[in-house]
Amino acid sequence: MEAVQTIKKQKTEIYIDYTLLFIVIFLMAFGLIMLYSTSSYEAMLDYNDAKYYLKRQLLFNGVGLAVMAAAAVVPYTFYKKFGVIIYALATISVLLIIPMGKEVNGAKRWIEITNGINIQPAEIAKVAIIIFLAAYISTLGRKVTTAKGFWKVMGSAIFEGLLVYKITDNLSSALIIIGIGFAMIFIATPGYKKYILFMLFGIAIVVVFIAYISNLEVGSTGNFRFDRILAWLDPEAYASGKGFQTLQALYAIGSGGFFGKGLGQSMQKMGFIPEAQNDMIFSIICEELGIFGAIGVMAMFLLLLYRMMLIANNAKDLYGSLLVVGVMAHIAIQVVLNIAVVTNTLPNTGITLPFISYGGSAVLFQLIEIGIVLSVDIRSEH
Amino acid sequence: MSRKRKRKQQKFTIGMKRKLVVLFLLVLLAFVGLGVRILLINRNNGEEYEKQVLSQQEYDSTTLPFRRGEITDANGTVLAYSEKVYNVILDVKQLLYDEDYLDPTISALVTNFGFDESELRTYISENPTSQYHTLAKELSYEEIKAFKDLQTAGSDTYNSNIQGVWFEETYIRKYPNGSMASDVIGFTTSDNNGLYGLEEYYNDVLSGTPGREYGYIDEDSALERTTIPATDGNSIVTTIDGNLQSIVERYLAEFNEEHKNEAHEGNGANNVGCIIMEVDTGNVLAMASYPNFDLNDTKNTDALIGMPMVDENGNKTGDYITEENLETLEGDVLLQNFNSLWRNFCISDTYEPGSVAKPFTVATGLETGIITGNEVYQCDGYLNIGGYNIKCHNTYGHGPITIPSAIEQSCNVAMMYIGQAIGADIFTKFQTQFGFGLKTNIDLAGEARTEGLTYTAEQMGSTELATNTFGQGFNVDMIEMITAFCSLINGGKFYEPHVVSKIVNSSGATVENIEPRVLRETVSGSTSEKIIEYCNLVVSGENGTGKTARPAGYMIGGKTGTAQTLPRGNGEYVVSFMGYAPADDPEIAIYVVVDRPNVESQDNAKYATTIVKKILTEALPYLNYPMTEEVTEEEQAELDELMANIVTPITSSSTEGASGEETVDGDATEGASGSEEGASSESSSDAASSSSSGASDDATTETSQIWKSFEVDPETGYYIDPSTGALINPDNGNSIGGDALPDFDSSSTGSASSSAASSDTTE
Repeated sequence: MEAVQTIKKQKTEIYIDYTLLFIVIFLMAFGLIMLYSTSSYEAMLDYNDAKYYLKRQLLFNGVGLAVMAAAAVVPYTFYKKFGVIIYALATISVLLIIPMGKEVNGAKRWIEITNGINIQPAEIAKVAIIIFLAAYISTLGRKVTTAKGFWKVMGSAIFEGLLVYKITDNLSSALIIIGIGFAMIFIATPGYKKYILFMLFGIAIVVVFIAYISNLEVGSTGNFRFDRILAWLDPEAYASGKGFQTLQALYAIGSGGFFGKGLGQSMQKMGFIPEAQNDMIFSIICEELGIFGAIGVMAMFLLLLYRMMLIANNAKDLYGSLLVVGVMAHIAIQVVLNIAVVTNTLPNTGITLPFISYGGSAVLFQLIEIGIVLSVDIRSEH
Repeated sequence: MSRKRKRKQQKFTIGMKRKLVVLFLLVLLAFVGLGVRILLINRNNGEEYEKQVLSQQEYDSTTLPFRRGEITDANGTVLAYSEKVYNVILDVKQLLYDEDYLDPTISALVTNFGFDESELRTYISENPTSQYHTLAKELSYEEIKAFKDLQTAGSDTYNSNIQGVWFEETYIRKYPNGSMASDVIGFTTSDNNGLYGLEEYYNDVLSGTPGREYGYIDEDSALERTTIPATDGNSIVTTIDGNLQSIVERYLAEFNEEHKNEAHEGNGANNVGCIIMEVDTGNVLAMASYPNFDLNDTKNTDALIGMPMVDENGNKTGDYITEENLETLEGDVLLQNFNSLWRNFCISDTYEPGSVAKPFTVATGLETGIITGNEVYQCDGYLNIGGYNIKCHNTYGHGPITIPSAIEQSCNVAMMYIGQAIGADIFTKFQTQFGFGLKTNIDLAGEARTEGLTYTAEQMGSTELATNTFGQGFNVDMIEMITAFCSLINGGKFYEPHVVSKIVNSSGATVENIEPRVLRETVSGSTSEKIIEYCNLVVSGENGTGKTARPAGYMIGGKTGTAQTLPRGNGEYVVSFMGYAPADDPEIAIYVVVDRPNVESQDNAKYATTIVKKILTEALPYLNYPMTEEVTEEEQAELDELMANIVTPITSSSTEGASGEETVDGDATEGASGSEEGASSESSSDAASSSSSGASDDATTETSQIWKSFEVDPETGYYIDPSTGALINPDNGNSIGGDALPDFDSSSTGSASSSAASSDTTE
């Protein structure tokens, strides 16, 4: 009876983090404007309809908001006990790509649900790993601090990541999955030493790897990822090949200046940055809105992360906090990687900017994650 | 229960919160780092990248071609127009942008245009960065339509994987009538540059301004895209009458058919030219020469066969082009031979006019009052001037001869007497007045410069004056002669000849009307009337040299010419007839020149007069001139045969009927103009028909045609001079191989200047 009463009480004076909601909606609206500006030229050429991408994204966003609301209403504790099942389902969905996968633009990363609606299992895996690890870590309790516990947690993340990488050949998703796991275990366990060592070890491998690659020549490797790394090291040397997109994005950023050329005034979107509405939309933001606009967008993401940090701190239980931490890690990694790729700080990996880039699956699952965060927030102790 | 749960419930500890703050700070640090990176890109490379972006955009600008104006005849028939065609351009880089593009695009190219698939693939694999490769040129819209549909979103056959192929628009020049008026129209090179004729002379008018599609940067460094449409060229309407032109060309070609390979291998003559001009405007109604060429296929070497061959400097080698030696021509030599084909004989080639100059000599005398027209001269067959016996073409002498008869029978001696009376000063002054030695400024490219080809008064000795009176020793071109002749017969108005009457813009509005322009008065009206009277005798007179030029049913006037060429005594002649119709009130003038007819004995004006006759027989009814003369049965039979063969003018059958009716009226009004003329024309028509019908003339033997009493050579049908044994032409009394003129070139007594004037090989 008491429990029923408390629920009723909560329902009457429901608290939602409006700041977070506002930021998400702001980013989505801003994303639509930039998407329209960026894609109208190519949409006109390819589909004879300047609003082609805008209309589709508007639809995705609408569906996404509905799903987000649903996720916010469902108590987050409800799926805690299904953590392993969710993890297993995500793994199966990734495996399903092998027999049922659909190839788009030369990459086999999608599963067709019904005619015209495709879903990326990698996106499912990202949400699944957040839920599974939050549930798993919170049930492990103190055991998580042991080396065995650490490797169990990291192992499940690395397994999922490697699976995604092997099957979909999508390195960025794999990195995000592993990164989410790393961030969650980092928060859940005390001490810094092993994490610093872990990261240094990772960096060392990457540096050795890059040093090895840079002595090769493009084409001789036969691996597009190696070529991308070479193009990253010296984009101008591969200006007509792998470095083309990166270099054109740099031109866009560099020509923007402090306040940019003005909304809609990008020249680079006119065929020079192919499919700029996907991975490279941030370069068009830089070109049209300048450094000012770029910093503004980054500030909005920071604010979003800050609000999530507060929600994690105020969550009712460890499970809820870890859910929020996972979502936070996901969004932070994706934003940082995307901007780093666009500015040629990291090699091109094909990663989208959350809420802004064009893409159905991505925005849908990102909004589910926001819904989970809101669900945690609603049920926290204020 | 709830307590237990609370205890079990793990909390987010302070340590965790701290670590979360650390994580957040790390993310913040990454964001700051990336922000700094963006700042640095802008600071270090901003300007360079900005330029790069702008220069990439400029690469996009394209030139839009203009449409060259049309050339139409006076009736609006299109003689030349430009058609939009498409070049197929392959952009390999775009094609290779996605591997899905390659196969569908190649198979579409192969099925639609029939390209060789392996060749395409080889090119693509060898030139992966090529962005501009022309696969095919000048295809019509119909030829590319199917492929274009594949690329057009929304069409039934649209295939988004067909990429990297685009069509470049350009125009090509088309001449729907092929070789018609080829010399007048000229042609264009592929880059829209006119060569020869109207295409060259009116190149600036016909050319438009190419448009441009480009991006530019405004003051805010924003890109503006602009299209400046191409301005199409203006069209020109010519004075050429397409039907008349084709009549003329048909008979020039017929002449060629009749005489080719006759005396030697080659065309019927080195050149045959014909100009028909409106006497009272200077409008050129028809202008043609043979050999002509196909304007749509200007480099077809077949057209060269039969022409005199020229060397790399354009000088004649003496050989004629045959199928065999055509293959030996190449490079500059071939080009020179093409140039001599493409040039317009009617305006570009100079020659000694011969006896057609006689009316000008008489007009000079009459105009200055030095002669009255009533003089009688004694022709003994030659006149001794400056130590030379300069012969008349009738070496037996015309006896006492009046001025009208001198024109009628083309007496050289009478002309020389008149020339002596006029004197070199006045003679040369009038030559200039008539435009000899001056350009006519006709609106065609390539008019010959005749300055220096006539004598000045100081250079002109008595022999030069004497030979000049009958058209030897100075050079003219056809347009010069007929323009001057028009002024002689139209009352003295010297019109600037022109071919274009109107310039209209691409939307059809008139930009400029070109009105007839009188440049000067050459002779008075009374002189003009007398010249017409004398020239009428050439055709209507009993002994007229031009009787064979008269078309059935009409009376015309004119003057024949049989000019010797250099070196003298080579047996090569330029024969011509310059005439007009109608005889009593000239409205159109016609001039036919046959340069070295391909016959055994060239010195016979009938080669020109028969062409004139044939052209006028068809042209005058077409131009709606009523018949004024009776048509003999023989002529009627010829006319009927002709009518059956006529294919060109659609209107001719109806006008023929009308003119047939009018003939009755014409005869009735004719009576007023005097029975004398009627009678003379009657007899001359008989003579004309008989002479045109057969070889040796058994008609009345005249004192002036003394050679007709000689024996007839059974082989040639020519008369034999009993004293010299030379063969004599039955039509005009010229002796074969006989030389009537001193050869100035080899003459040592001739003044230095005379050789300068006549050294140019006459053509």
